[in-house]
Amino acid sequence: MSAQPNPTLSVALEHVEELARGLGESGDALALRERARDLVTPLVLPDRARHLWRYTNPERFVPVADPTVLAPVAIAHEWPREDDLAAAALIAGGALRMVEIDDTARRAGVVIEDLHRAATDGLLGSLVPPEHGFAEAINTAAWHGGVLVRVPAGVELEHPIRVRCVASAEPVSVPRVLVVAGAGSAFELVEGHVGGGVPALVLGVTEIAVGPDARVRYSLVQRWDAGVTGHLTARARLERGAHFQMSLASFGGSLYKADVGAVLAGEGAQAEMFGVSMGGEKQHMDHHTEHLHEARKTHSNLDFKVALTGAARSAYTGMIRIAHDAGGSEAYQVNRNLLLSEDARAESIPELEILTDDVRCSHGATVAPLDEEQVFYLKSRGLPHFQAMRLIVYGFLGQTLQRLPATTRERIEALVASRLHEE
Amino acid sequence: MAAHPTVADIGTDYLSKYGFHDPEEYFARAPKGLSHEVVEMISLLKKEPDWMRAFRHKALDTFYAKPMPTWGDTAMLAEIDFDQITYYLRATEKQETSWDEVPENVKRTFDRLGIPEAERKFLAGVSAQYESEVVYHSVKEELTKQGVIFLDMDSGLREHEDIVKKYFATVIPAADNKFSALNSAVWSGGSFIYVPKNTEVAIPLQAYFRINAERMGQFERTLIIADEGSKVHYIEGCTAPVYSTHSLHSAVVELIAMKGAHIRYTTIQNWANNIFNLVTKRAVANEDAVVEWVDGNIGSKLTMKYPAIILKGERAHGEVLSIAFAGPGQHQDAGAKAIHLAPNTTSKITSKSISRDTGRSTYRGLVKMRKGAHGCKTSVQCDALLIGSAARTDTYPTMEIAEDDVRVEHEARVSKLGDEQLFYLRSRGIREDKARLMIVNGFIEPFVKELPMEYAVELNRLIELEMEGSVG
Repeated sequence: MSAQPNPTLSVALEHVEELARGLGESGDALALRERARDLVTPLVLPDRARHLWRYTNPERFVPVADPTVLAPVAIAHEWPREDDLAAAALIAGGALRMVEIDDTARRAGVVIEDLHRAATDGLLGSLVPPEHGFAEAINTAAWHGGVLVRVPAGVELEHPIRVRCVASAEPVSVPRVLVVAGAGSAFELVEGHVGGGVPALVLGVTEIAVGPDARVRYSLVQRWDAGVTGHLTARARLERGAHFQMSLASFGGSLYKADVGAVLAGEGAQAEMFGVSMGGEKQHMDHHTEHLHEARKTHSNLDFKVALTGAARSAYTGMIRIAHDAGGSEAYQVNRNLLLSEDARAESIPELEILTDDVRCSHGATVAPLDEEQVFYLKSRGLPHFQAMRLIVYGFLGQTLQRLPATTRERIEALVASRLHEE
Repeated sequence: MAAHPTVADIGTDYLSKYGFHDPEEYFARAPKGLSHEVVEMISLLKKEPDWMRAFRHKALDTFYAKPMPTWGDTAMLAEIDFDQITYYLRATEKQETSWDEVPENVKRTFDRLGIPEAERKFLAGVSAQYESEVVYHSVKEELTKQGVIFLDMDSGLREHEDIVKKYFATVIPAADNKFSALNSAVWSGGSFIYVPKNTEVAIPLQAYFRINAERMGQFERTLIIADEGSKVHYIEGCTAPVYSTHSLHSAVVELIAMKGAHIRYTTIQNWANNIFNLVTKRAVANEDAVVEWVDGNIGSKLTMKYPAIILKGERAHGEVLSIAFAGPGQHQDAGAKAIHLAPNTTSKITSKSISRDTGRSTYRGLVKMRKGAHGCKTSVQCDALLIGSAARTDTYPTMEIAEDDVRVEHEARVSKLGDEQLFYLRSRGIREDKARLMIVNGFIEPFVKELPMEYAVELNRLIELEMEGSVG
């Protein structure tokens, strides 16, 4: 609206055509890339008066190098073998490097394939269109290293699917994930973001189409090394009767912005979101969540917890929107911030936009320090200060951590403990 | 927008440059639109000191330079045509509206609310003065004895220039936002109150009591200073609909509560439904001071108003208690701000809104705790009641916390006028319209009970009127 192009900032997207051709993409895919490129040429950054970017400088997410240039990289990232996975995919160095599917899942028709050559039935770019924002547009124009996960109708998987995106070896990582959950399917998917080192920047987009009556558990776990700047956007679209549970765990990187949410498009759809963000030192974490109720009798519930140590800073903005035609819906949203040090800062903007009267809706937000009475109580029972504090933080984060698959949870608990040791 | 004279030109040679020697004549010739000439003429007509004239011109440049807000109801804001607004009216012109021109519905509302005849004409803009001499006389005597200054802002500037110069625009600088800049350039009327140390003003001061003509200007400017240990309650507006042909009302209200002082500022806004009500209200609370905004928004087409309290001194306390009623086509975009600068300051924000039919109410708030503001506490509670499937409510709270040793709580609830509550009341033989009214009255009761008796009675009648035709 009032945003002006910043003449000093632009993004080079010179080789969109060569990229699409080299990757063997269809004409439709190229058209989408070109549409996205045109949206950011010239680059207009968002107006910071709007809350979505009030606390985080969008300029930090503008790539310096041209992300459409494929850098020839050698990847030596080994896949940590894990038991009890239905399937696994590894994206690293700008390409899908490894896919594993166990026999049961393969027989059931589960597909994990390179997104560049996959038939996506127009779903790519439909849940997170390039118009969503400049970071999403850059990803859409330049993405390489993508995976399609398709679970056919009626298929229930006992074990989780794991997608790992490793940020390394190239200056800009632009991974893309598309998940298609067939009608009545039921499974769990963990998308993990790790790595660091060379890359200055990660701009990732994930789209999840949840079919009618499907039940999907999805975790977005961010454990980048220090120094990484990253922006991840994830959107799910829920058809009639679908149930979508999202866990958000944010720990790594130096500057992180996440934009996650669900569109409740079919009657009776339900979305739950549990989020944990733990920042330390000088980390800057910015989370935006969105629940858009577009159909009748939809239900959403969100619990987002933030614990900060050091001079970490967290910004949280959450939007619940209930459309005029979404009568009979319910939406709940809670954001709690625990400040464990004097220099930590938290911002919270939980928002509601309710366009019809037949709703039940509430939200709450709190910011508070460690409860000294609880610490005192635990210490009086002989626990050292550090352990008392850790127990309280675990209690604070516990409900959310419980939702994560066991292996991920253990890893995150270790991260929580090490973060607390720093204090 | 065309180029405008810059600050350097200000206050130098307007007279010779534009050749208008008689402001009266000027306003007779050029009644609409905004320019440095208009500002110059307003200042000349009021015989203001140079510093105020320069302040106005500088503010106008700020107004020109600032863009319209890019947030809020931008579609409605875009309807404002600044060139079609009359920025200043001579008192004689104000009386030119005839009673016959006052819309029927406004007259009917006066009837229903039981507003006295003389008062009606004043409220409808037919008479510029409200004859409250008798009441006012005794009030005035009492105030004079206490050393309380209670004047309209224009007289305040004339009679107490030293105080005005010291505090004017110190809480809300002209450049605060586009509309405070506009007000700063063309302000007229409003109240000026100074309460001396350790003085308690026993009765609520009401703009009513003031005899001067400038009570309800479009661009009123109010400044209240409560000196150490004093206490004052000011009431602005009233429940009766205020009819005006002007489409824009943009006030600036500054409150300064010195150490240990207590200011309560009550507003009930019921502008006619064609009016944009874009108001900046802010208070500074020094050590141990208490500031309370009690804010009711019933009228107007679009209201944007977020009473703020800057908790500057240790242990200061701020409260904002507000209700908004958005009927068909209205947008009440209201809220509150609490800025905690000093340690051990506390604040409480309670917001209740009702959206009926196509009405939209928005809570927009800010709670900020600066680094070093140890031991602060705040709690924000927003309740929205929706009546009708086309009604809309939004909640946009913002919390910015830079200190760990604090407690911040925010809670919001949205509900519709409940079928169960209705059923319960109807099962006890209460008619549906009565039952709805009872529920709404119960919902806003915490607000009503903070009002002086006569206002509470009027507000209840008003809500009754607003609720008419809401069944079904």
